[in-house]
Amino acid sequence: MVLDLTMSMAILALMGALATIAGCLEDLESDVGSQSNPNSQVQLAPQMGFLHRIFNKAISGEPISNGMSAVIGGTATTVLLSQQFYPLTAIVIGAFFGAIVLGIFATTSYAGRVASQTRFKQPLYMDIMRYTTPSIIGHNFIMNFCLVAIAYIQFEILGYPFTIPFLALIWGISVGAIGSSVGDVHYGGEREFQNREFGCGLNTALSGRIVRKAESGLRNSIDNVWFCAKFGGPATGIALGLTVFFSSWPTTIFGYTWKAIGVGVFIVIVLTLMNRLVELNVRHAYGPYKEEKNEQEAKA
Amino acid sequence: MSDIKERSPNQLLLFGIIGGLLGIYLTYLLPFAGDKIGGNPAILLRTIAPTFGALGAICAVMWGADAVRRVAKYGLGTGVPSIGQIAMGMGIIAAMFGLAIVKTIVLAGPIVALVTASIIGFIIGWFAQHVIKMKIPVMIRCMTEIAASGTIIIIGFSAAVAGNFEFANIVTLVFDNGVILAVFWVGAVAMLHPFNACLGPDEKQKRLLYLAGSTGAITMAIIGIAAIMTLGTSGILTLFIGIILWIVFYKKFWDEVYHDASSVVGTGLIPKTEA
Repeated sequence: MVLDLTMSMAILALMGALATIAGCLEDLESDVGSQSNPNSQVQLAPQMGFLHRIFNKAISGEPISNGMSAVIGGTATTVLLSQQFYPLTAIVIGAFFGAIVLGIFATTSYAGRVASQTRFKQPLYMDIMRYTTPSIIGHNFIMNFCLVAIAYIQFEILGYPFTIPFLALIWGISVGAIGSSVGDVHYGGEREFQNREFGCGLNTALSGRIVRKAESGLRNSIDNVWFCAKFGGPATGIALGLTVFFSSWPTTIFGYTWKAIGVGVFIVIVLTLMNRLVELNVRHAYGPYKEEKNEQEAKA
Repeated sequence: MSDIKERSPNQLLLFGIIGGLLGIYLTYLLPFAGDKIGGNPAILLRTIAPTFGALGAICAVMWGADAVRRVAKYGLGTGVPSIGQIAMGMGIIAAMFGLAIVKTIVLAGPIVALVTASIIGFIIGWFAQHVIKMKIPVMIRCMTEIAASGTIIIIGFSAAVAGNFEFANIVTLVFDNGVILAVFWVGAVAMLHPFNACLGPDEKQKRLLYLAGSTGAITMAIIGIAAIMTLGTSGILTLFIGIILWIVFYKKFWDEVYHDASSVVGTGLIPKTEA
């Protein structure tokens, strides 16, 4: 389908908006289950004597698990479209399938990992599972819906030569990779490790010392997502939204020409420079991590 | 990792290969037998045949999950998802090669694919062991097994969507509509998830195998949904048997969790510990 410039810009804006929502929800979904970075620490905590009430979603790395739910959503949507469903209905039902399967995998990983820590007396809290799993499914459903919708737009309207499951899988992997890299940085010096100084890294001796108490009562994964919704999620969403927007914008305006490639290279250079400026600014503002006295003594 | 081994590697290897190949071959032989008989039994056999491909693939998922468990026990925490992916990578190359190279003798396809996968797996395992020097004693054997089970998973689930394992058929019904990506990705997660989810010092093989059955059955249900598009009634059958098997294995997994976990509580505070 060939569109005029206004229509293709509108489609591009829609895709950017969908990608922003998908990125945001992906990061929050991973935070609510302590999936990527904190996962090993949450897993380690009982071994260090820190029993906790935090969900441990060890399906796999974020790119793989999000790719899985997105490809299931894409496949189910393709099946429903072939049965003459309305596109919106097909995308909603397909995305829901993907989210349900991810939820099932999440329950087995929480139960399985806790059951593998018997000797540390970590209890399996059923209430944690009962109200965290629906939250995971809900977040993942919105993410799937956005990604499959983007795949549908690309396949049906923009006429990409790839199938919907393929595009959905690629978007699923991308959103997982961006959530894992951008989201974790902001999730960040993380809600679960907030007793660390900026830039100090994680000393091996401190492994597993996750923060287990919240403002009121014991911390759980819902508290973590509340924290991450302020910054980590939106930052991830903007990252993916801009990725989609900037990667499609040159070809939408200039077509598949050398000019578009030149504009793309220019965008990459500008972003690289901006990254460097932010990094220098942060280093300047927070300075290097100062070693504590007792660490120097330990060295000597 | 507990040292209790309910099922030896060789038992699971036989279970995976025999169960997997049996399921895959039944997708081809049942309609063939049906045509000889003719009439209503022919229609019935034609309808139920593709489901056996998915059942065979579940056998391979359980075998592959145990192979992942044996190799990943050597401290490959974050490497577990990568192993699932490499299994499917080796598996899909071998499967497509094996199915495509046999022109007239269709029945030889899965065997050729299995042998090819084993060779690729062996070479990659040998490289990991002797060139990269990973020093994991079971590396070569496990990589071979993982590649072989990956290829059975790919062929089994593809046959469940395409009706049989003829290459032309698979290209039209599995590749062109993108279902192969679901086979590839969900199959890989089905194989890597059991160990990843049960990782820990008190991991037990029985619980892991039930979980492998559960993930395999979920994949079967998804493949059933895809098969509704390509095969109609057979897909519905695959979907329902997949869901039933999932309920059975999921229940068994939870029974093991209740049995193994230190304590299962509805709610409550964190127990006091020494630390």
